[in-house]
Amino acid sequence: MKNRLFASIPSIVFGVLIAIAPHTFAHVCKVTEMAMKCHWTAQAEIGVGAMIAVLGLIALFVEPKIRVGLSIAVILAGVLAIAVPTVLIGVCPGAMMHCHMVARPTLIVLGVLTIVFAVVAVLLDSRTAKRA
Amino acid sequence: MAAVPHITLGRLPLENLRRKPFRTTSLIVVVAILAMAFFGGSILALNLNKGLKSMEERLGADLMVVPSGSQSKAEALLTNGNPNTFYFTNDIGERVQGFDGVEQATEQTYIASLAAECCDEKVQIVGFNPETDFVIEPWIASQYDGTLGKGEVIVGSSINVSADNTIKLYNHVFPVKAQLARTATGLDSSVFISDGTVPDMVSYANKVTTRGTIPDEYADRAVSSVLVKLQPGYSAEQVADEISKSDLKGVGFVYPGGVTSTTKTSLNTILVYVAVFLIVFWALALIVLLAVFSASVNERKKEFASLRIMGATRGMLTRIVLGESALIGLIGGVIGIAVASLVVFPFSGAIGKELELPYLQVGVVPCLLLIVGSLAFAVVTGALASLVSAFRLGRPEAYLTLREGE
Repeated sequence: MKNRLFASIPSIVFGVLIAIAPHTFAHVCKVTEMAMKCHWTAQAEIGVGAMIAVLGLIALFVEPKIRVGLSIAVILAGVLAIAVPTVLIGVCPGAMMHCHMVARPTLIVLGVLTIVFAVVAVLLDSRTAKRA
Repeated sequence: MAAVPHITLGRLPLENLRRKPFRTTSLIVVVAILAMAFFGGSILALNLNKGLKSMEERLGADLMVVPSGSQSKAEALLTNGNPNTFYFTNDIGERVQGFDGVEQATEQTYIASLAAECCDEKVQIVGFNPETDFVIEPWIASQYDGTLGKGEVIVGSSINVSADNTIKLYNHVFPVKAQLARTATGLDSSVFISDGTVPDMVSYANKVTTRGTIPDEYADRAVSSVLVKLQPGYSAEQVADEISKSDLKGVGFVYPGGVTSTTKTSLNTILVYVAVFLIVFWALALIVLLAVFSASVNERKKEFASLRIMGATRGMLTRIVLGESALIGLIGGVIGIAVASLVVFPFSGAIGKELELPYLQVGVVPCLLLIVGSLAFAVVTGALASLVSAFRLGRPEAYLTLREGE
């Protein structure tokens, strides 16, 4: 049960946070005449965050062997959550822009935490799966 | 036959920690918080010091002559304040150059843009004379080796430049020749133009708005400030006094050295708070660790006595206890530094903005040195806390300890 919760709860929480952060507490720039890069990053993160949250939700109901696979998928999605605001799409280049100063670092930190928790979940579940 | 698990003396500290997960986790949390506070506080102090150094380098003038009543606006411009427009309407530059003690004088013109398309907020447009300037020009020259032509701009680090290397100000597109490195001063959100571009900028501004801009009739002679470099042996106050006693009316003075010292005072206050917090926290953490290790060694007396009977020397027992505490220090240190890094590095810009002090991220080498230092600090603190218990271990006779309470 402990491993099951470890593999699912952090993914659900961080997935939801990744999806909503760029639209709420770590918002990107407002769209004026033309949508800037950060707007598209925020849109993409809805998809990435939702995927992580759903993977976490599924992990609640499956056996350890499958949870290992789900956690590996969460690790890759966490990498994607970091790559979207840094490499793939990016944010506004101005260092004092809110998206650059707050939204991007928030997404990086959430992505790193998602990866760290998923790696631990893989280690815990693979040990259980081996024993079974 | 299944393999019998074999525990060596080297692995014993790790195995001991694994057998007591709750105690180990609690100790790791204490050390992690200590390492986090130590690393976070130290990096904050280093970044603030670097910011202050950069600010001192950028505010290279000894005296700023500004229109009377505009001193606070000029000070805000030097630090991190709001963009402003203020100006003289006379030939102030040449007059100031003529005073005793003035070695060099250069004029600058400040125009606050409207919220530019590039940016969330207004930007400060700074017009300067590339030939006479001794404050901005050397800094620009260190990063851009061309000459800034008419109609061209150089932008500070915080300015958002469009993909085609242009910036739109007052509905006019300007080519961006260079983007400067961060200085942690108001210059980061400034756009620099040569004095030849100032009249054009004023006319573009007046086509868009008439509020807070320089009127067209002053476009070619409006000067916002005269930056003065003094001759050796003269003080800024002395020259300012002489200027104010002359027939030049409506002038005010800003002493960049004073602005820097005010910032230094605020910074020192923060650094003292950080240092006091770290010392108090370190003392508390040491007491907690000391208490826990003492209690743990006390309750494990019989375990250690058994090890002695099995042939372990006193030195071996000391090494086991020190090994456990050093391991806790290492794991807690790594976790604490990782957590602090997740805050101080990505959020560097936001921290600088919130502190309202010059804050500039230090380079990779000092960061790596600090990481190693913080880790060593955590390990040494852990080992120090168990040192007393470790030495106490060696004293009693093993047989008597084992039979204690019978």
